[in-house]
Amino acid sequence: MNPFWSMSTNAGRKRSDGEEQSGSGEQRASPARPPFGKKQLPSIPKNAVPITKAASPASSTQSANGTHASYGPFYLEYSLLAEFTLVIKQKLPGIYVQPSYRSALMWFGVIFIRHGLYQDGVFKFTVYIPDNYPDGDCPKVVFDTPVFHPLVDPVSGELDVRRAFTKWRRNHNHIWQVLMYARTIFYKINTMEPLNPEAAVLYDKDIQLFKSKVVDSVKLCNSHLFDQPKIDDPYAISFSPWNPAVHEEAKEKMFAHKRRPEDFNKGLPVSGLSWVKPGSTQPFSKEDNPLQT
Amino acid sequence: MSWLSRLNPRGPGTRTGRHAAPSSPCTADPETCLMVFENHWRQVSGVLKQRESSVGGFADDLTAVRNHTDQMLCLLAEERPAGGDIDSPAMGPILEMVVAENILEELVQWHVCRGLDPDSQLELLKLFEMLIGQSHQPLLLHSAVLQPLLSLLGACVDPQMGCPPALESSLVLLLNQVCVSMAKETAVLELLFRCGSVQQGPTNLLIFSLLVPFIHRDGALGQQARDALLLVMATSASNHAVARHITENSYFCPVLATGLSGLYSSLPRKIEVRGDDWHALRREDWIGVSSLVLFMNSLEFCNAVVQVAHPLVRCQLLDYLHNGFLVPVMGPALHKSSVDEMIASTAYLDLFLRCITETSLLKTFLRFILLHHHDNDTILDTLLTRISSNSRLCMVSLSLFKTLLSLNCEDLMLQLVLRYLLPCTHVMLSQRRAVRETDLYGKSADKFLSLIPECCRITSAPSGERDEEPAFWGKVLGSPTSESPVHPRPSTPSRLALFIRQQSSGGQANPSSSGSENAPSSPRGSVSSPLSPDSPMHQLSDFSEGETGYLEYLRDARKGIELCSWGCRDWSAPYDGENPSPNSAPLPPPPPTSNPSLSMVQEHFSVMDPTQQRAAVVAAARAEWSSSDRDSGEWDVTISKNCISLTPRSKKRSLLPSSIPLQSSSSASVSTEITGASETVYQHSRSTPHPALYNGMGQVEFTDSVDERMEAKKVKRDSDVNSGMVETGMNGSMGPVDYNDFHVGSTLKSSQVQLKPHLQHHTSVPSSTQECLPTESHRLSPVLGLTESSAASRGSESVERLIEELLERAPSEPLSGDSKCQGISIEAFHQELRELEERVRERRVSSRSSEESSRESRTAPLPSLTDEDCLPVETEQRSSETKPDSSTTGVFSPARPLGQPLAQPYTGPFITVLFSKLENMMQNSLYVNILLTGVVFQLACYPQPLLRSFLLNANMVFQPSVKSLIQVLGTVKNRIEVFAAAHEDFPAMLRKARRFLVARGKLDWSDSAMGVPSLRRSDSLIKSRKPSLGDLILRHTNSPTRARHAAQLALAHVRDGGQSLHSALFRGSAASGASGLEKQAEALRVKNAVYCAVIFSEFLKELAALAQEHAVALPFPPSQGTEE
Repeated sequence: MNPFWSMSTNAGRKRSDGEEQSGSGEQRASPARPPFGKKQLPSIPKNAVPITKAASPASSTQSANGTHASYGPFYLEYSLLAEFTLVIKQKLPGIYVQPSYRSALMWFGVIFIRHGLYQDGVFKFTVYIPDNYPDGDCPKVVFDTPVFHPLVDPVSGELDVRRAFTKWRRNHNHIWQVLMYARTIFYKINTMEPLNPEAAVLYDKDIQLFKSKVVDSVKLCNSHLFDQPKIDDPYAISFSPWNPAVHEEAKEKMFAHKRRPEDFNKGLPVSGLSWVKPGSTQPFSKEDNPLQT
Repeated sequence: MSWLSRLNPRGPGTRTGRHAAPSSPCTADPETCLMVFENHWRQVSGVLKQRESSVGGFADDLTAVRNHTDQMLCLLAEERPAGGDIDSPAMGPILEMVVAENILEELVQWHVCRGLDPDSQLELLKLFEMLIGQSHQPLLLHSAVLQPLLSLLGACVDPQMGCPPALESSLVLLLNQVCVSMAKETAVLELLFRCGSVQQGPTNLLIFSLLVPFIHRDGALGQQARDALLLVMATSASNHAVARHITENSYFCPVLATGLSGLYSSLPRKIEVRGDDWHALRREDWIGVSSLVLFMNSLEFCNAVVQVAHPLVRCQLLDYLHNGFLVPVMGPALHKSSVDEMIASTAYLDLFLRCITETSLLKTFLRFILLHHHDNDTILDTLLTRISSNSRLCMVSLSLFKTLLSLNCEDLMLQLVLRYLLPCTHVMLSQRRAVRETDLYGKSADKFLSLIPECCRITSAPSGERDEEPAFWGKVLGSPTSESPVHPRPSTPSRLALFIRQQSSGGQANPSSSGSENAPSSPRGSVSSPLSPDSPMHQLSDFSEGETGYLEYLRDARKGIELCSWGCRDWSAPYDGENPSPNSAPLPPPPPTSNPSLSMVQEHFSVMDPTQQRAAVVAAARAEWSSSDRDSGEWDVTISKNCISLTPRSKKRSLLPSSIPLQSSSSASVSTEITGASETVYQHSRSTPHPALYNGMGQVEFTDSVDERMEAKKVKRDSDVNSGMVETGMNGSMGPVDYNDFHVGSTLKSSQVQLKPHLQHHTSVPSSTQECLPTESHRLSPVLGLTESSAASRGSESVERLIEELLERAPSEPLSGDSKCQGISIEAFHQELRELEERVRERRVSSRSSEESSRESRTAPLPSLTDEDCLPVETEQRSSETKPDSSTTGVFSPARPLGQPLAQPYTGPFITVLFSKLENMMQNSLYVNILLTGVVFQLACYPQPLLRSFLLNANMVFQPSVKSLIQVLGTVKNRIEVFAAAHEDFPAMLRKARRFLVARGKLDWSDSAMGVPSLRRSDSLIKSRKPSLGDLILRHTNSPTRARHAAQLALAHVRDGGQSLHSALFRGSAASGASGLEKQAEALRVKNAVYCAVIFSEFLKELAALAQEHAVALPFPPSQGTEE
């Protein structure tokens, strides 16, 4: 592979490398998790959230003609934004996504395969989220170039996501899981009910031929790496050859960047105030070191 | 020597111009200068040598020496170093001579020996000051200069008397100069220190000791002294020996700290208040108060010293500040008995906290607030109780807590809220995992928005326009085949929200808020983000006069959350329900009913003389009469300390749960109430040294709103009020609150307020109470009784009569139950209560079964029931479970049975008092509500899942006894709707109120825009904290061009408060046929309610926005101790 490729989007970096463990500890909802939502007492009315008028015509009554019907778009937008935040917190290895400029329902992504059969593969894809999210089907993942893979449609490039998410359940299924799944298929190959029967058969019967086809496919994908994005969108992910004049600085910025509050100014205290000893819940329990300067 | 004089044109009298360019002749020829200098010295030394031989000719000698000395020192000052490199310049010839012959020492010694008169002292001080200030050479490095200087200083200042006043300014100026050159040449410090130790013994840093007495001086003198000291501090920051000297041998730290105490004691005890919205000291408030300026200067100096000084000095200073100022002065000041003093001290503390920038100083203050006990209560406890007080003290306290919350301090939050939430006992066990969930799909936000009362949803524009958005969103990208979907409008408002975020995460400034970068975002987010003209916000929000752009709230919420999580990023734990572990978390302190001070009261109760009791009741009643009268404008519940903690669990409690079963007949019940009241009084007079406190409180507000003469009519109006629909709160939810207070032994007022509905209740529905006691319908019965009966028929007359009767009877003729009371011991009483408890427990079981029927028996459900209807299980449990608690934890039996675990989850006094204030929003003044919602908003900005889930997660299921924010808000919603239904002109009033608030927001805006540019964090913070309409209503209506004059006119109008404001806004809305005073009171009530409706709706949007923003917030990594 050409080691000097670089990836850029118009919106700067999407994953904050500086973010440490803070987010990853929040395994918000794994699919195996007991659905405690159903154990809720009936006291709190479960009015459906009016995501969009079109999507949930039977939204809660008070929102039907009240002002807060107008907040619907905020709900959808924020739901997707929250999903995106979850993706960031998950720090999925080798996966980068970026919502499109035009619609929060369309995310551009790229996946880097670092070992295994598909090693060195760089696959661009697009995630399409149904407009009645989160109450609709699972999102679709479509590779820009159909990868040779049993679960990828050789014509459309669509990944068979449904087999992993037979029914999309809000609160339990999240888009980061879809992305995770899209990564997993390149490491653990499943040939059941394939979208690409040829790949499935080859994998089962003639692994060598399968491997060489995969290599070809990876090469093909990577040869199209610098193509213009298939979808014309300011936030589409586009690759360009390494150009120190452009990328060196951007790279430095990326590594040096520290996220600050939007309104950050010098007046803010440098560090948060805390004198609580870790593990304690007593105020001012931290060892005082008065002589430190 | 005439030519010599010409050579140096500056005689002693012309030294004012010394900053003019140095006279060139001197610099021209060093050798000439040396010659001149030698010439002078010859003459002077001639005089000096004769000093023993000749006794006469003093004056001549002195004059001659002075003149020559003056010339010599000028020459010395203006001499340039004689080459050499910059680091170690060679001495100029004159300096060399001065050093070699020790000229200065001889001069000074001559003066000292012949006896220094003040005039000479002054001259010498000035000369040295000139010399040191102007010299081109580092003179002080030479002990030939330093020693005589120290001798002079030692001679000028009497060790006992200090410095003569006439010399002060010269002395300080000289010392200042010395310190300045010391700061330039740090070696000087060492020299000073060593030289000094030879001569002055223990107080060896003479320069320093001389400066200390001037620390707290006002004016330029004090400033120079402080500057000089600060230079010493900074210079000595790395010098351990000097630091030790300062801490061990100087009085610097004690003087500084105790000086603060002295200055504090001269601060005004009462703050003259201009407007009814005043709640905090802003810079423009105190800049004119000299004593406060003095104090603030010294406090700033402390802050600066802490910042620059050696750790030893810093620690000692902080120690002294804690033990010499905070504990002995601030503590008692905060506990002063007069309301005026409480207001003043609270406002001062708030101001101090806002001024302090140094972390360790802040820590000292916080430690004092959190840990120091004054009369068994921590300062924090005391401050918390003030929130529940009447309006001004409440506002000042709220403002203080806003300041505290804005510190994002873990220790504070732990004590205030988190320790109560840590055990997770407030959450259903099955829900504990949900603590960390965020509101992914906007459910909580939707819930908050759905609580906006229907009557407040005034939309002057059809919503069709906005409906395009969902439609637009709905049609996005159906399938992958639509390869390049074309969207007509790429930047819809909703897109903006997404992409502002992305831009900011990429390090770019948000274009629409870039104009406000200089101001720290206020806790309210507030006006600091004027929108750019092309912001879609305008399209979004211009459509109706009152609807504020939700997008703005989202932005504010995001700012608030970001700043808060930034501030919290170094906390020791995430507080997510798992870390710290709920199981290892120590049990939080219980509601303060088991307070030892209360058991003390109880003892007194048992030995109390019955006549005393009765007198107390009457006194209580009378006092309460006037105080409630005066309070009618605000309708604040006055809950004293020790009681508010009980209020949270009271909401769902029935009005008379414990007292009714206690006595079987209504008259007996009354007597119980009375004993309770008397105890209340007694306890009150014991716990506070000045019982006049509440009267004082009364007067404060009294002048604000209602005339004294209203007292006579109060009874009638009160009953009117009670019967009014709006006032269901008084009896429904507010009633129980009071009821608790009553039992715990709280303020006079609450007991009185309680008395009325209670009596009413007994007269009107005596039979129903027993049957439906444990159920919800029971709780409602008094409400129903009151609201459904007309004011004239029963409410006004019966209550009035009953109370009058009671008042008449109380002092003279013992009531039936009274005789019983006087004899019983507290043990007997406990026994009785325990029996009661048992009975209630039994009932609880049966109540479950009879739940259905009793609910059906609720014949005429109030509109306000909708909220409770949603939560039937909780309600039932609450009403039954909490009842025994109310009786057992009250003053009557503070001793909880040993071994009984703290079964009731308790969310802490802060949450409790905030919620009870919120619940009574309708009765709060506009300004209280603005502050209150601001505090809750800020609290809800905290990203810790425990806190966030408690406040904002509408899906959480809490333990039945835990009241949620949603529930509280639901109550308010219902009350507003009831009120709106009762007032035909509500929509019109609402519109007027909005318009007024918008206008006021503009005023505030232009007000602050024209204010002095803020130099310090505190100023801008104060400004941004000013609760303005801009905060809540139409933030984009900035009109800085508005003329000042117009602003002030309107402001005066606004600040008029009361009648004029009301008449301007709600003319003719007062009840007809009532007297002017009644009208006025009613007008206030209506005004508060209408404003509340406006604030409430905006507040809900804020909360919804917070819930949404929390879901998309990214945490900040810890700073890892790196300075940024």
